[in-house]
Amino acid sequence: MLSRQPGDRTLPTLVTLLVIGVLLMTFDIRSEGGGVTGVLRTGTQSIVAPLQKGAALVVNPVVDVIESLTNVATLREQVLDLEAELADAEAQVVALQDDMARLELYEELYALEATGTDIGRTPAQVIGQPDAFDGALIIDKGTGDGIVVGQPVLDTNGYVVGSVQQVTPVSATIVPITVGPGGVAVAVGNQIGTVLPQVNTDVMRLDLTAEEPVFAGDRVVTSSASVRFPAGFPVGEVLADAAPTGESLTTEVAPYVQMETLRVVVILAWPPDPISAITPDTTTTTTSTTLPEDGSTSTTSTTLGEDG
Amino acid sequence: MRLRTVITVAIVLLVAIVLQTTLFSQTSLFTPDLVMLVAIMLCLTRIRPELTLGLAFVAGLAVDLLGSAVLGLRAIVFTVVAYLALRTRERADIGRVITGIWAGLLTLAGVVLLLLVGTLFGQTVLLGEGVVDLLFLVPIANMILAFIFAPLFVRLVDRDSTAFRYA
Repeated sequence: MLSRQPGDRTLPTLVTLLVIGVLLMTFDIRSEGGGVTGVLRTGTQSIVAPLQKGAALVVNPVVDVIESLTNVATLREQVLDLEAELADAEAQVVALQDDMARLELYEELYALEATGTDIGRTPAQVIGQPDAFDGALIIDKGTGDGIVVGQPVLDTNGYVVGSVQQVTPVSATIVPITVGPGGVAVAVGNQIGTVLPQVNTDVMRLDLTAEEPVFAGDRVVTSSASVRFPAGFPVGEVLADAAPTGESLTTEVAPYVQMETLRVVVILAWPPDPISAITPDTTTTTTSTTLPEDGSTSTTSTTLGEDG
Repeated sequence: MRLRTVITVAIVLLVAIVLQTTLFSQTSLFTPDLVMLVAIMLCLTRIRPELTLGLAFVAGLAVDLLGSAVLGLRAIVFTVVAYLALRTRERADIGRVITGIWAGLLTLAGVVLLLLVGTLFGQTVLLGEGVVDLLFLVPIANMILAFIFAPLFVRLVDRDSTAFRYA
């Protein structure tokens, strides 16, 4: 089937390139994306990002038009559904206004200040994806806009998308939680656990350290035990009822975020100030348990608190 | 390889990378792997086979550098696909349809190899939703594009208007 001629040097060339490729893979894995390979990535992305931004300006409206044309048949039903949802939401807003007024009164009485709302937010446009198989997203904001590796990323509804994996001065690469590589520490009610990506589906696996069952529709949010995300951000909802076997429970979670329609994301400047977070100015000690976000073994660590 | 050919190939690769990472990353049904297709179609040109392998490696490395998977993964895959293409290219210039099928089969081999090696190296980022569908959609899209553009591509790179006329 395959033909080969005498004096042909393609096979030695192939072997040489394969060896170089394997060495590159090994080096990249061992350096964890840093070092020379990190510089190479940053340089290449810095060169291509302006072209991608330019192309996205032209391409995005075209894709939107094509998508809207293909979806025109279902638009009428969607409008009716959305009108019903809007009516429900407006009724909820009215119902919540009394609660809000009462809350403000109590905050004034006890001189309370809200926390957690001072996290910086940078909106960014999704300009592309490396290829059909790579689930990562490329955005049009980089170090020039204050983006750093590891920052959490949400969609415009506040649902968890993923975290920043690579950043250049003008662009960044985001890896969604639905494709990994690790899991996310989450809470369902007062029970804590981890959600992990699965192969060939956006549905994630939920492993809980549970004493009580969970039910379909239960809200899954990021846990305060997470080292990657601030607590309380919605991740998804439980797909099926599940009861604990022993001290653990496994079920599936449908993420709230819709990756295929994601055009704008919000990057959180979190933790707000990593340096002050590790240099407390008080001597009070608190103990916290950190859940593993790779689905492996659990560890316990002790940290110094700042709330003396 | 002449400077003009180098420039032509570099521009085609750059355009393929930009189109793949912007336009075709947002389409759900038509999802070609343009850069792999360029690496395959380069094997139909008169560029020396060793250089073609090198170009395929560089093309794969460029996509690796833009992606989130491990560096060198696509470089290896594209090089192997280019090698298979070089070994079978005599069978590709029989007719336009055969060229398309040939490119589609090579793409299928490429994506299977990509997922296989990626899985071995723990690249879960490649195994997201719809990966099984993509195993077929990507080769089909590449087959269609090769059917349409392969002769034009060879004529452009070789600067030979008589190439791939399927006489």
